[in-house]
Amino acid sequence: MKELVNNDLQSPSCNLDRRGFLKTSAFLGGSTLLPDRLSSALDWIRSAEAGTTSPGASYPLAKPENILYTVCLQCNTVCGIKAKLQGGVVVKLDGNPFSPWGMFPHMPYKTSPFETATIDSILCPKGQAGMATVYDPYRIVKVLKRAGKRGENKWISIPFDQAIHEIVEGGLLFKDVPGEENREVTGLKDLWVLRDAKLARELAEDAKLVAAKKMTIADFKAKHAAHLDKLIDPDHPDLGSKNNQMAFVWGRLKGGRADLISRFTRDAFGSVNAHGHTTVCQGSIYFTGKAMSEQYLDGKWTGGRKFYWQADTANSEFILFVGASPLEANYGPPHRIPRITEGLVSGRLKIAVVDPRLSKTAAKAWRWLPNKPGTEGALALGIIRWVIENTRYDARYLGNANRAAAKADGEPTWCNAAWLVKLDKDGKPGPFLRASEIGLGTKETRTGKDGKPYEFDPLVAFKDGAPVPFDPYDEKTPAEGELLVTTELQGVKVKSGLQILYDSATAHTIEEWAAICGLKPRDITDLAWEFTSHGKRAAADIHRGVSQHTNGFYNVAAWFSLNLLIGNYDWKGGMIQASTFDATGGKEGQPFPIGKMIQGKQTPFGISIIRHDVKYEETTLFAGYPAKRNWYPLSSDIYQEIIPSAGDRYPYQIKAMFLYMGSPAYSLPAGHTNIEILADPNKIPLLVANDIVIGETSMYADYIFPDLTYLERWEFNGSHPSVAAKVQPIRQPVIAPIPQTVTVFGQHMPISLEAMILGIAEKMGLPGFGMDGFGPAVPFVRPEDLYLRMVANVAAEKPTEDVPDASDAEVELFLASRKHLPKTVFDAGYWERVVGDKRWRKVVYVLNRGGRFQDFEKAYPAGGLVGNKYGTLINLYQEKTAKTKNSMTGKSFPGAATYIPAGADVLGRPIADDGFDLQLISFREIAHTKSRTAANSLLLQLLPRNSIIINEEDADRLDLKNDDRARITSASNPDGVWDLKNGRKIPMIGKVQVIQGIRPGVIAFSLGHGHWAYGSADVVVDGQTIKGDKYRAAGLHANAAMRVDPVLKNTCLVDVTGGSAVFYDTRVKLVKA
Amino acid sequence: MMKRRQFLATAGALTVAAGAAAALDRDPTTAGIEGTSRAGTLLPSRTPMGPRGLELLRMQEDIRRALKKPMEQRKWVMVANTKKCTGCFACVVACMVENVVGPGVTYRSVPEVEMGDYPNVSRIFMPTNCMQCDDPPCAKAANPLSPGAIYKRADGIVAIDYAKFRDKEVVEAAQKACPYTAIDYDEGTLWTEGTPSPQPYEAATSFEYGASWQRTGGKLPSASGRKCHFCLHRLEAGMVPACVTTCDGGVTYFGDESDPQSLVSEILRKHRSIQLKGHLKTEPRVHYLVDDTEATDNLKTCLACHQGKL
Repeated sequence: MKELVNNDLQSPSCNLDRRGFLKTSAFLGGSTLLPDRLSSALDWIRSAEAGTTSPGASYPLAKPENILYTVCLQCNTVCGIKAKLQGGVVVKLDGNPFSPWGMFPHMPYKTSPFETATIDSILCPKGQAGMATVYDPYRIVKVLKRAGKRGENKWISIPFDQAIHEIVEGGLLFKDVPGEENREVTGLKDLWVLRDAKLARELAEDAKLVAAKKMTIADFKAKHAAHLDKLIDPDHPDLGSKNNQMAFVWGRLKGGRADLISRFTRDAFGSVNAHGHTTVCQGSIYFTGKAMSEQYLDGKWTGGRKFYWQADTANSEFILFVGASPLEANYGPPHRIPRITEGLVSGRLKIAVVDPRLSKTAAKAWRWLPNKPGTEGALALGIIRWVIENTRYDARYLGNANRAAAKADGEPTWCNAAWLVKLDKDGKPGPFLRASEIGLGTKETRTGKDGKPYEFDPLVAFKDGAPVPFDPYDEKTPAEGELLVTTELQGVKVKSGLQILYDSATAHTIEEWAAICGLKPRDITDLAWEFTSHGKRAAADIHRGVSQHTNGFYNVAAWFSLNLLIGNYDWKGGMIQASTFDATGGKEGQPFPIGKMIQGKQTPFGISIIRHDVKYEETTLFAGYPAKRNWYPLSSDIYQEIIPSAGDRYPYQIKAMFLYMGSPAYSLPAGHTNIEILADPNKIPLLVANDIVIGETSMYADYIFPDLTYLERWEFNGSHPSVAAKVQPIRQPVIAPIPQTVTVFGQHMPISLEAMILGIAEKMGLPGFGMDGFGPAVPFVRPEDLYLRMVANVAAEKPTEDVPDASDAEVELFLASRKHLPKTVFDAGYWERVVGDKRWRKVVYVLNRGGRFQDFEKAYPAGGLVGNKYGTLINLYQEKTAKTKNSMTGKSFPGAATYIPAGADVLGRPIADDGFDLQLISFREIAHTKSRTAANSLLLQLLPRNSIIINEEDADRLDLKNDDRARITSASNPDGVWDLKNGRKIPMIGKVQVIQGIRPGVIAFSLGHGHWAYGSADVVVDGQTIKGDKYRAAGLHANAAMRVDPVLKNTCLVDVTGGSAVFYDTRVKLVKA
Repeated sequence: MMKRRQFLATAGALTVAAGAAAALDRDPTTAGIEGTSRAGTLLPSRTPMGPRGLELLRMQEDIRRALKKPMEQRKWVMVANTKKCTGCFACVVACMVENVVGPGVTYRSVPEVEMGDYPNVSRIFMPTNCMQCDDPPCAKAANPLSPGAIYKRADGIVAIDYAKFRDKEVVEAAQKACPYTAIDYDEGTLWTEGTPSPQPYEAATSFEYGASWQRTGGKLPSASGRKCHFCLHRLEAGMVPACVTTCDGGVTYFGDESDPQSLVSEILRKHRSIQLKGHLKTEPRVHYLVDDTEATDNLKTCLACHQGKL
């Protein structure tokens, strides 16, 4: 890689020509591996006679027996891939034509894999380069234990069994590390204290009574005197049991492994602390989606789904991409690019892009609107104002107040635009009006889904001068209402849902909205006109640029509300949702209900470390406003809050934390705040990571368990909203596992997440694992016991005739194409026994295609609607949200979209940061994925380093030229450095690139460079120094410049409602370096 | 309109460096971007497009039909619609892996140019590869020094005989002669230089020209000049070239121009196209569509920098 031209290298000591043979065997590059499996693979390859010409010779990569179908993980788009093998080594990756991702339209599911062997479909450059992630010389193959200070990168390799023993038993585990001679580590066995599910339920119920002030603490303590030692704090029983002091935290996690981690953490260990990373991605899109999808069932709002909608790219006539760049990221390539380019060239589609940077998507757009970051919601409200005032909305759709009315119009969905909302004395909207409150009808006692009675009080719309009571889900009696209502009924002041949205939109004139956004009024009216000129075949498609602001939740609500104005949900070319075949066995006819197949299931209870899904006011910790840290009653998986909360011990200490496939230190805004906590063993005393390498965050762990990469493991990948077909892409092992083989439950398997969990379960005797793990004499002793059952579930979901039995030839192909896989990961006889011989051929059929994919025609049946529908109420006005209080201010959250200026602290106070004259944003180049493409040399050749992108106007003002080096500083990182601890600091210095395609006043860098681990730096293992690869360290990573919240002090800015980690609201300075 | 122009270094130091020189210069055909069409009737200003999956299947059928004919009756051509190019580089990487090249070698490049002034700015992407010229200047330059090093196959592919194309002097002569900077010299280095150990995918067998190759240990095709061959080995297996099949934007088309039923024939019949540096009369086999304003603008942008002879 001589091409690399970069002065930013962090490891000047690295010797380029070094090709030494390592003494430590902990790495893939080490000596234990090469002599056996890999060397035989190399031998096989060498046996091919080089250089001889034999015209017309066959092309082995076109032969079906050399191809396995699986799923990419170079990013999270989950494209189907074909792995092409030579001698058991993956040598080429291409798109899987069965999958709707890379093939438009995708091949009918019943196509033979013998036919598809020669048909490759689309893949992106990251997917094409994936071998380097898998065959990475810096991959670890044995368990590493810390032999120096946290983050000092001194390690020893230890036997797997020893690691399991130490983690479970605890003790003076690091007595050889200076300063930790007397540090007693609590083992998992001492955290698994509450093991009686019935007792847990009783404690949980009484703790709830205490929190509700219906039971005194004294009474609670008296009643449960024998068990108070099992609680984190008997004075606050609602914190739950000590089991909660074990937390499992993940980054990228998909089905299968998700079910495994949940089974381990919640069902077996009884901890509530199993948390994902959603808020570092597009968190507030998910949680606004959740709020807008809450349903009014059994007299309460429930069932909101953590999900969102995207445009049906294949059929839209106009898409307004806001803070989204599907040509580079956002689950776009390779799925959305061909649909977009086809539309642009055929004339079917016009796109506009709102983004401060001229993204590749914007480069193809009819209009590029470089807005001020954080004003996305303002733009939506400006458009909404114009659409309402010019009556360009779909009044027929919006007037439908219930299912019957929607049905009559052929609409699968309806919203609450016409529902009446009560106003408080200050005119602030609160709950919906109920019929009984204005003396209309009577409450009705109904039986809920749980069999218990509840009171149903009808909602109310306003039509022809009179209130109309209705049931939102009434199938027979249509209820419609007027849209812009402000009135008083029986002394109750009310407004309609749409009126409340309109009030938000009229907070400013179109001119003012434009000024707020840094755009022209004409931009707003042009977009509004275009958006409302295509019936339902227009969509506003949003992503992180909308959600990752302090006002993210309401920005998202504004754009989803705009989509409601044209009623485009479930329509071809409008907004659609993801649809998946269930792998967990929850559907009728599926053979293995995984979640129910467990004896002695624990019932975790208590408040989580991120304080989610609970109202601060309804806990014993309530002590007025502000709370010590924010609570998240409406969102979950608050990634930026996990480690900092543990650091603050609020609401309690986490004593053992598992980190799986995530790198919060690298990925989070202000991720350096996490390093500060992780580096201190007294904050989180036991830290265990699963990783394929020593990564930017796992380098701070006490133990690192090597994991399998995406070409060696199982996962059920689900889908993304822009994929119209119902699918379940299945990731399966396609090469022999690279980590060391170990024995767990008497079974041989590679070290992996699965082996670690099974090993701990075996050692502790956890329920749900072992010979009776899935029920009496139904073992869960190896990964395939779980994953094969999940495949069988996918195959069994109706309509079952869509998955035929594999033919004899297909079964033979299944075996022939796996002949290189060792018994540690493939044993056809065992697999068949797990699922049963009746299901075996269907399992083979599914795995021969890399998952299950609904045919194109079913995804897009005749007519205007898509095949897989959301099909119910969408909340334009969110009652549940309006009835929830901000734990920092004590004020209720607004129930409808509204504009809140971005860049506020957790108390809602604007952050000025005077003197910092630029706003920092980040983006993703298509050739890299945040923390995980550092090993991909081919991609590094394409993009050896990133740059600080700046408009010429700013560059001139700051006297900066192309390739000048500059440092990014901010108010919360005035020195512009990453403090990695142990005396290691990295300045946030990058090369400047002066361009026109970015809004003046804004600078940007792409994510994926500036690594400080992942093979980029020297580490010491078993006393030997392993030199880093300096190319991996090139470029800059500027997340540490992102603003630390001035109140919380140890995490980034946050969206207090939707939970998003804030990437785009930091003011910075650029200083020539 | 073209007040400002610059190459974006981040778009790939290598691809830009290698590719920037490739593109165009002024000639009677390209100067006005009029383009030529094989038939009198032109469609309106839009280039043809169907769902890409169907196009891929059709191109595969076209290739298989062509394979049934004698080689000399096939005329492999490539067509590109740069309006659809999103600068994703999937083609570049797919090609590198398919043909097992090492660091510093690419058969394709996608240079990127930003033009205009804020806020009226655009970015253009221009995919290029070996044009498989019918009168290849590389062969004329190389063969006097090493007879048979580069030869024109009957189906139009300009092929390299690696064993005869190892001498750096020969390779440099060919590189100098090529107007499209399509040839790279493979130094034989590995991607894992400087790391704990080489990796097995680097020793993968490639199947260029229907043979088996392994470039490790100084064996061919390392220490040789290398370039695109339209994925001849895939064509002969009845498959679409790697860059075409993986193309996210659906930019490139491939097939047998001598077959009037083929997609490429249909496109070239119905739409205006140009060849880069057509005035040099090397008769390139890669055609660029110019029906769309955006595609035309892309080519004009390239022209602005490549007016003189390289």
